[in-house]
Amino acid sequence: MFEWIQTSIDGIVDGAIYALIGLGLSLSYSSLRRLNLAYGAIAMLAAYCGAWVAFQGEISMVLIALIVIGVAGLIGLYVEQLCFAKPLQVSGRIDNASVTADAGIDQRDLVALASSFAIWMQLEQLAINMLPRHMNAFPAFDADATVLLPLMGEQLILRLDRLTVAVLSIMLITVIHRLIKGSRVGLAWRAIAEHRMASHLMGISVDRFQTVIFILLSSLSGFTAFLILAIEGQVTAMFGMWMLLKGLTAAMLGGLGSVLGVMTGGLMLGLTEAWAQVFFGAIGREFAVYALLFLTLTLRSGLAARRKEQHFDRRVVPR
Amino acid sequence: MLDIRDLATAYGNIEALKGVSLTAEAGKVTCLLGPNGAGKSTLMLSLSGILKPHRGSIRFQGEELLGKSASYIVSRGLALVPENRLVFPGLTVRENLLAGAYKRRDSAAITADIERFFERFPRLRERDHQLAGTLSGGEQQMLAVARALMSRPKMLLMDEPSVGLAPMIVAEIFQIIEQLHLEGTSILLVEQNVHMAMRVAQKFYLMERGSISFSGKATDLRDDHLIQRAYLGQRHAA
Repeated sequence: MFEWIQTSIDGIVDGAIYALIGLGLSLSYSSLRRLNLAYGAIAMLAAYCGAWVAFQGEISMVLIALIVIGVAGLIGLYVEQLCFAKPLQVSGRIDNASVTADAGIDQRDLVALASSFAIWMQLEQLAINMLPRHMNAFPAFDADATVLLPLMGEQLILRLDRLTVAVLSIMLITVIHRLIKGSRVGLAWRAIAEHRMASHLMGISVDRFQTVIFILLSSLSGFTAFLILAIEGQVTAMFGMWMLLKGLTAAMLGGLGSVLGVMTGGLMLGLTEAWAQVFFGAIGREFAVYALLFLTLTLRSGLAARRKEQHFDRRVVPR
Repeated sequence: MLDIRDLATAYGNIEALKGVSLTAEAGKVTCLLGPNGAGKSTLMLSLSGILKPHRGSIRFQGEELLGKSASYIVSRGLALVPENRLVFPGLTVRENLLAGAYKRRDSAAITADIERFFERFPRLRERDHQLAGTLSGGEQQMLAVARALMSRPKMLLMDEPSVGLAPMIVAEIFQIIEQLHLEGTSILLVEQNVHMAMRVAQKFYLMERGSISFSGKATDLRDDHLIQRAYLGQRHAA
């Protein structure tokens, strides 16, 4: 029984962190309606920059964190302009057809997806060239500090750094959720996620808004990466992939686009991993996670997500 | 107030507007009639800055708006109630209204305006915190109109407000349009329902296949021949 509780708490702690990873990805999906495959890579390359700076001497953790956050935002701007922003218009040619063709997935969505994949590869290669070794040191929190809670005659062991990051994650998610629901900016963001064209009619500068949000979410992913890597104490170029997988899984389990969903999904992911590890070992753990994802997607598209179905035809111009 | 000259908008190689010229005067209801596919919605979207015309001029209160962004056009006082309402279905009624007031910063006045719209549309007040997607067609139309008015526009553009609505609701909507007119709101209205439009509008234009083919007053329109053209288009007129 005690082991169940210990395992579950470990799972929840990890789950909260997964939820934060998933949050950035999920939010960018709902405003862009496109998946940013470079999501993890942006954070990873920013983390590499932080690691590189840390190599130069005694730099405080706070400064490293700020560097990672800032660089992630800059790389995010780069990715957004290349892959997701409205393409620059060749002078003289006006593209009106794409404005009204609003329903469903079209080739531009696929192009954006493919572009973000290509840039992911580019960012990964940049990182590999930046630092020599496969595994590189990352400024770390104190890994020995633990919290001991007496329970049922035994002691629950919680690593303090993991616990702090989990609590921080939950706080961040809550703050962002409040912002989205309660602020003027949050309202504009939700309007854009509901209907782009109608948002233009409200006077919202949709393109500029999306760029700013993308940069902020990239910075958030940088911060998330910093926290995770400070626990691990090391970073590899594959971290981008890891982050994307965890984030995508957490987001899909709970329903892309829903803050509550990604919280649920993250926790489910964390708990499933923790229990599966106990029963089936490391390989079984991976299997269990993907089985869970498969089941969720087959039976219901995400658990907590409200179906944001359009109640009307989006095509405005009559044909 | 709104002066459009030789406006041309294309989708790729297809010219939807082939040089449209019309004038909408302040304080009046100007109505644009025409069959499906004539380009009326294209014109409205071009005026709101969603579509970019490649030729012509849009002068609103003396200022050239051609090529300006949708956001700028809203801030200059031109608001569109789009075809099919396009309310934000996942936002509540109140949130839709707040979205309409996005460009404004005077929050006390915004709240006061919302109150006034709830006075005018009691059915919306009942649904204050209900998701807009669950509203009936007529309620969504009221919401769309109120939402556009939240930006306190100098001129309201309305694209087929009666489409898809039951006759009783259509009458209600046109009552609202009449009321707005009496309060001094300038309106450019696109409509297919000629009979209703004749009751509220002072000036008419008939649009066919991308250009204006007729303009005049309600009395000029009583000619059945013209009404047939408005509904059915040139080819089918007797």
